[in-house]
Amino acid sequence: MNILENGESAHSNNDTKKDFELLSRAMDASISGIIITDNLEPDNPIIYCNSAFEKMSGYKRSEIIGHNCRFLQREDRTQKERMLIREAVSKGESCTVEIRNYRKNGDLFWNELFISPVISQDGEITNFIGVQNDVTQRKKTEQDLKQQQDLMEKQIADRTRNLRESELFLSSIIQTVRESLLVLDPDFNVVSANDHFIKTFKVTKEETVGTNLYKLGNHQWDIPKLRELLIDILPTNNPVEDFEVEHDFPHIGRKLMLLNAYRIELEGQFKDQILLAIEDITEKREIERRKDDFLSIASHELKTPLTTIKGYVQAMERVMPENAGERFRNMLSKTSQYLDRLNNLIAELLDVSRIQTGNIELHKLPFDFDKMVKETVEAIQSASSNHEIQITGTSGIKVAADESHIIQVLNNLLSNAIKYAPEAEKVHVHISKVSEFVKVSVTDEGMGISLEDQKKIFERFFRAGEIQQRFPGMGIGLYICEQIIKNHNGTLWVESEKGKGSTFNFTLPVNTTN
Amino acid sequence: MNDNKTILICDDDEGILDMLEMVFEDSPYTVIAEQNSLNVKGIVEKQSPDLVVLDLWMPVLSGDQVLKMIRKNPKTETLPVIIISASREGKKIATNAGATAYISKPFDFEELMTMVNHLMS
Repeated sequence: MNILENGESAHSNNDTKKDFELLSRAMDASISGIIITDNLEPDNPIIYCNSAFEKMSGYKRSEIIGHNCRFLQREDRTQKERMLIREAVSKGESCTVEIRNYRKNGDLFWNELFISPVISQDGEITNFIGVQNDVTQRKKTEQDLKQQQDLMEKQIADRTRNLRESELFLSSIIQTVRESLLVLDPDFNVVSANDHFIKTFKVTKEETVGTNLYKLGNHQWDIPKLRELLIDILPTNNPVEDFEVEHDFPHIGRKLMLLNAYRIELEGQFKDQILLAIEDITEKREIERRKDDFLSIASHELKTPLTTIKGYVQAMERVMPENAGERFRNMLSKTSQYLDRLNNLIAELLDVSRIQTGNIELHKLPFDFDKMVKETVEAIQSASSNHEIQITGTSGIKVAADESHIIQVLNNLLSNAIKYAPEAEKVHVHISKVSEFVKVSVTDEGMGISLEDQKKIFERFFRAGEIQQRFPGMGIGLYICEQIIKNHNGTLWVESEKGKGSTFNFTLPVNTTN
Repeated sequence: MNDNKTILICDDDEGILDMLEMVFEDSPYTVIAEQNSLNVKGIVEKQSPDLVVLDLWMPVLSGDQVLKMIRKNPKTETLPVIIISASREGKKIATNAGATAYISKPFDFEELMTMVNHLMS
C-alpha cells in the first residue's frame, strides 16, 4: 500500500502495523465514502474502499476492489462531470464534482466527489483518493426549489401574458367602437385616444397623446362648455351623461357633440383619470331637422287637398235635394266623417315628429277647465249616438294650460273609450280637484288591458296584439297624449283589468307657469 | 243688407280657390278669387273688397306679409281679414300680423260662413 509507505522509515514494523490499523479504523468510522485507486495500473482500479463507501454504494468490498470508479455510473455515461474527472486525472490535479451514481439496487444517488492525486517523491502520480458524500437529499431539495422557481416563473409569465392579452383585448374594443374615446389624467392631459377620435377630429396620435386637452390642435379644444363639464360639473356629478357641446372647429367645421364623462373613483393607479366619450351628432341632428321639416311640409301639403274635398262634401250636403235618399245622405255623412279621421291622422303624424325633436310648443293661457271638458264631451257625444257619455264632479277653477292640446288629449281618451268598446253603452268622465292638481278620469266598459300591455300602450307605434286585428290605428295617440301631459308637468296613467274595462286618468297642475 | 258686398279670396292652391268660389255662389256675396298673392294689395286698393280671406303659406309673398301691407295702409288698416292655414303655428303668426280672425285648414264651411256673416254685419 503505497499510501502508508512514507511512515516506514520512522517507525518500527510493529508500530507501523498499529498505525495502519488505527488509520483503517478511522477510515471506516468516516461517514464519507473513501476509495483509493492505483494510477500505475491500467484503468485506475480501486484498491481500497471504506465501509461508508460500501454502505453508500450498496456493493460489497469484494464487488468493488479492482473496478474502475465508473462502474457507479452504470449506463448514465453522458454527464459532463465525467470530462472534468478525466481531465483532472490525466493532469494529476484535484477536483470536486457532483455526479449521478447508482447503487447496486439501481437507485440513483448524487455523489459529491472530491478527487485528489497522490504524488510520489519523484513526482509520479501513484494514486488517487476519492472522498464521496451522498448529497441526494440536498440535490433533491435544490431541484425541488429549482422546480418551484421554474413553476413560479412560468405562472408569472402566464399571468403577464394573460394581462397583456386582456389589455390588448380591451384596447381592441376601444379602438373598434364607433365613438370617440379619450382618457385624461386629473390635469386633463390626454393619456390615450382611440382611432375613432383620431379619424373624426383629423388629428394624429402623436400630437394628441400627452398633450393637455385644452391645448390640442392649437387650443381648438379649449371650449368653455367643455371646461364647464370637466371643472364645474364632473367633480360633483360623476358620471355625466348626454352633455351637449357645440363647437366650430377650424378644420372640420361646426360639430354638435354629445359627451359622457366618467371620473374613475377606484383607488389605484387609474384613480381620478377621466374617461370622455364623444358622440358626433351633427349629422343626426341635421337629419332630424330635415325629417321634421319634411313632415311639416308633407302634412301641410296633404291638408290642402283635404280642405278642398271637405269643402265640396259640405257644399254637396247643402245643395242636396230635399227628396234625396237615405243611402245618399249616409254616403255623404260617412265621407265627411272619414275626411275628419284622415285629418286627425295627418295631425298626429306631425305631432309625433315634433315631440321626438322636442319641438312641442305650448301656449298656456288660463281657461275654464270644467267648461272645456263639458264642450269636448258634447262634441264627441254628438258624433257617437251609440254611447252615453256621463260627466260627474267639477273642479270649479281655471287652469293655465294649452287648451287646444288638452282638448286633443281628452278627445283621444274619449275616442279610444268608444272605439275600443263598441258594444258598451256608457263612458264615464269624472272631474276632480286633488290638492294643487285637476284630475280627469275617463272610464270605459271595454275589454280592459293586460298588465303587460299597460306598460307599453304609451310607447310610440305600440299596438296591443289583439287590438291590431280588430281596430285600425297607428299607435301614436296615447304616446302624444302622454307627452302633452308630461310637458304640462302632469301625469297620464291607466288603471285596468282584463275584461273589466279601463280608466285613463290625467292630472294637470293648476298653476302651470313653468 | 249684404247685397253687393265683396269678398277677396287669395290662395295659391287652385283647388281650394275653385271650391271656395263655388261654395260662395249661393251666398249673397260677390267673390274675387286670386291665386297670386302679389296682386292682393292692388286689388284691395282698387276694388275695395269688404272682407279678405288669405291663405298663410303662399310662394313669394306669404299671407302674413300681405296682411301687414294691408294694415300699413291707413285706408285698409281696419279691413276685416280672415287667415286660413294648414300650419299649426298659423294662429300665432296670423294674430301677430294683425288678422281679424283665423281658421285652420281643413275647415268647416259653415264655420267660415258664420264668421264671414258676422264680420260683414
